[in-house]
Amino acid sequence: MSRSRSVSWLAVPVALVMTLSACGGGTSSDSAAGGNEDGTVSIYGTEPKANLLPANTTEAGGSKAVEALYTRLVGFQPEDGKTFNLAAESITTADAKVYSIKLKQGWKFHDGTEVKAKNFVDAWNYGAYAPNAQQASSFFAQIQGYDDVAPAGEGATPTAQKMSGLEVVGDYEFKVTLKGPFSVFTSQIGYLPFAPLPDAFFADPKAFEAKPIGNGPMKFVERTPNALIKLERFADYQGEDKVHFKTLDIKIYSSQETAYQDLVGGKLDFMEALPPSAKIGDKHKADLGDRVLNANLLGISTIAIPYYVPGFNNLDLRKAIALAINREQITKTVLANSYTPVDGWVPPGIEGYEANTCADFCKYDKVKAKEYFTKSGFTGKLTIQSNADGGRKEPLEAACNSIKDALGVDCEFVGATNFGAFRQIVDGKQLTGLSRSDWSADYPSIENFLNPIFKTGASSNDSAYSNPAVDAQLAKADSTADKNEAIKAYQEAHKLIAKDLPSIPVWTEKGIGGYSKNLSAAKLTFKRDGQLSAFRVKA
Amino acid sequence: MSDPGASGAGLERAAASAVGDLSHVDDSSQKQGKPRSLWSDAWGELRRKPTFIISLVIIFIVVVMAAFPSLFTSVDPRAANLDNYLKTPSADAWFGYDVQGYDVYARAIYGARASLLVGLFSTLLTVLIGSVVGIFASYAKSWVDSLLSRFGDIFAGVPFVLGAIVILTTFNSPTENPSAVRIITQVVLSIAVLSWPVSMRIMRSATLVAKQQDYVKAARGLGASPLRIVFRHLLPNTVAPVLVYATIALGAFIGAEATLAFLGIGLRPPVVSWGVMISESRDYFQAAPHMLLFPAGFVTITVLAFVILGDAVRDALDPKSR
Repeated sequence: MSRSRSVSWLAVPVALVMTLSACGGGTSSDSAAGGNEDGTVSIYGTEPKANLLPANTTEAGGSKAVEALYTRLVGFQPEDGKTFNLAAESITTADAKVYSIKLKQGWKFHDGTEVKAKNFVDAWNYGAYAPNAQQASSFFAQIQGYDDVAPAGEGATPTAQKMSGLEVVGDYEFKVTLKGPFSVFTSQIGYLPFAPLPDAFFADPKAFEAKPIGNGPMKFVERTPNALIKLERFADYQGEDKVHFKTLDIKIYSSQETAYQDLVGGKLDFMEALPPSAKIGDKHKADLGDRVLNANLLGISTIAIPYYVPGFNNLDLRKAIALAINREQITKTVLANSYTPVDGWVPPGIEGYEANTCADFCKYDKVKAKEYFTKSGFTGKLTIQSNADGGRKEPLEAACNSIKDALGVDCEFVGATNFGAFRQIVDGKQLTGLSRSDWSADYPSIENFLNPIFKTGASSNDSAYSNPAVDAQLAKADSTADKNEAIKAYQEAHKLIAKDLPSIPVWTEKGIGGYSKNLSAAKLTFKRDGQLSAFRVKA
Repeated sequence: MSDPGASGAGLERAAASAVGDLSHVDDSSQKQGKPRSLWSDAWGELRRKPTFIISLVIIFIVVVMAAFPSLFTSVDPRAANLDNYLKTPSADAWFGYDVQGYDVYARAIYGARASLLVGLFSTLLTVLIGSVVGIFASYAKSWVDSLLSRFGDIFAGVPFVLGAIVILTTFNSPTENPSAVRIITQVVLSIAVLSWPVSMRIMRSATLVAKQQDYVKAARGLGASPLRIVFRHLLPNTVAPVLVYATIALGAFIGAEATLAFLGIGLRPPVVSWGVMISESRDYFQAAPHMLLFPAGFVTITVLAFVILGDAVRDALDPKSR
């Protein structure tokens, strides 16, 4: 999901729970082993950038709440990302082009209305329709008729309001026709934009934004901007990922360090990532003991070099910068061994990963870097932009210093105060230099590391990269029905991208999170989310 | 450091009495047989004070550090070498290295300039605005005086840190990356805007007393213009308490700079200042305390030196207290 979830954490206000149980009479110390079903869990959060609509949430801050509010057709196993049916009863296809989807009956939205096929179809049409300007609109691009509702090109007006590929068959069944065979579709529908929306949304979108109604395990209670998003267990929830506590507080922090102090002090219950300072000398292990969580993350950190910045449309400069970053040393020191260097845009652990895709340029080589830099003829100053909170500043300042040292060019880290402000700059194509461009997978597929980032005009194409050959190769891969063949085609596209260096791969994070002493169990997913259904509050 | 204005609180009363004493100074020196002015009297007093000498030496060193940092170190404060990641103090780097492999000693030396500049300009501006408004208020009609005093109270009433946060975040939207000069100017202006009422009150009460002295009345009787009275008769006799305040405030403002930088709204990298260094080191305190302790020590010693100097000067300028 998107850009940098690195900053999310879940925590549970244990103090409250303890106080309540203490009031209960004092002697009831040994309650059920399942934990306190009425407990409160507080998790680390960052301020959402936009409203909490599923198709408009592509960043970590908002998706934390949206994930819990909406249940999609399928869910992912926390460990490896294998899909299982949630709202879907069955998903069948003969040719990977036409999918027939049946829903489970009796599932309800938080307002009591039933989840029907039309809720999915309407929500998807809303998300794709260009005038609605939903951030994740391009995720529907595989569906037939997408080009009519969201035509490419500046100022093009849509010729239809609904995608022709979506067809409601019955109350609990609908059919999806894609533009061509697309085998990743069954994973893709687990992503947030594919959530259903209740009739109440279409009746009054404004009121809905203030108080979203979903079909997920938690329902919306209240939101205090920059402070708190409060959710509560939805009693009628039918899915197997129901939660075992009552209230979820997503506490908004501007600094990971503060949140970490709260985590250690028991004022916050879960963080899906720990600040760099906690990892120095394995401090977190001393602080949290066996309450440290690990996960394989499907994410990657890159530094985007936007083509629209004057002087940056220069392959030699890109090569020079890629060669000038000492990934080994930075991951070992500033990042305290919590990251590992990467040599491509697809991280290890993804099916279709190939080592050394960017081997020629993504290894530190000061001499070669300087050669390319001289050849590029670039003059002026380099900057790396990012949000400065959440432990973002230190590694990028180190990268800048590495570039400065190798190329002899002035380089400066430029911080925005928070992630929302930073993404506004990036999405508005207002970068004036290099930019942090991290990605964590929405679903575990090589496709998700290429299409949303490198296709012309894609939702997270931070570099504004456009190469017709890459677009064509990706389109070819998307339409390949056979999964293995498709992966091979994506690998070809990956290699094409490596020739252009639209962004510079730097490192990938090892997932390290932690929970407070108020919880007896918690789990970290490959998407670096808390698996809420695995949380248990101590009785 | 919560409120750099607080240090001036007691000075207001002292100012009135100090000015009141001025008229007697000549009498007392006549008794000693050698006519001495207030200033030479104070100087004689100060010369014999060890605290004065010590603080002056410290301040001199800091000023030299700010003006010619290369005298103290040949290391570039922005030269990073990750081979030295968080290395503790050694013979090569007396204060050790920080998380980016910067030399902490070099940065502490180069940091003096920004910190001192902020302190100096803020003090200048505070004293200038405060004195002008203070003299004008006490010399003008009483309703003008009340108006200006209440106006000053508005600024004095705003808690310093809160006021500075409001000012600095209003002028820098989160998406902007203001230049070093702009940030320094803004920090200086916000400190001055929030602190000038203190020096205004001191100047005002000093002037109110001085205005009643016979020599002022005589000058007025002789038909001197208000401007001449202010510059020839009032200012030389009211400047002492403000000067004392300025000395103490300079130290306080250096502390204020560190506070604002720590909060992330004051000076920020790539500017090197003590506050910026402290702000960068807070996350690593447990792993590398030297990153924090050295810049914090520089701030403490410098602030202390100015406060001691201010104290000594006040004692010297207030003959009654002897």
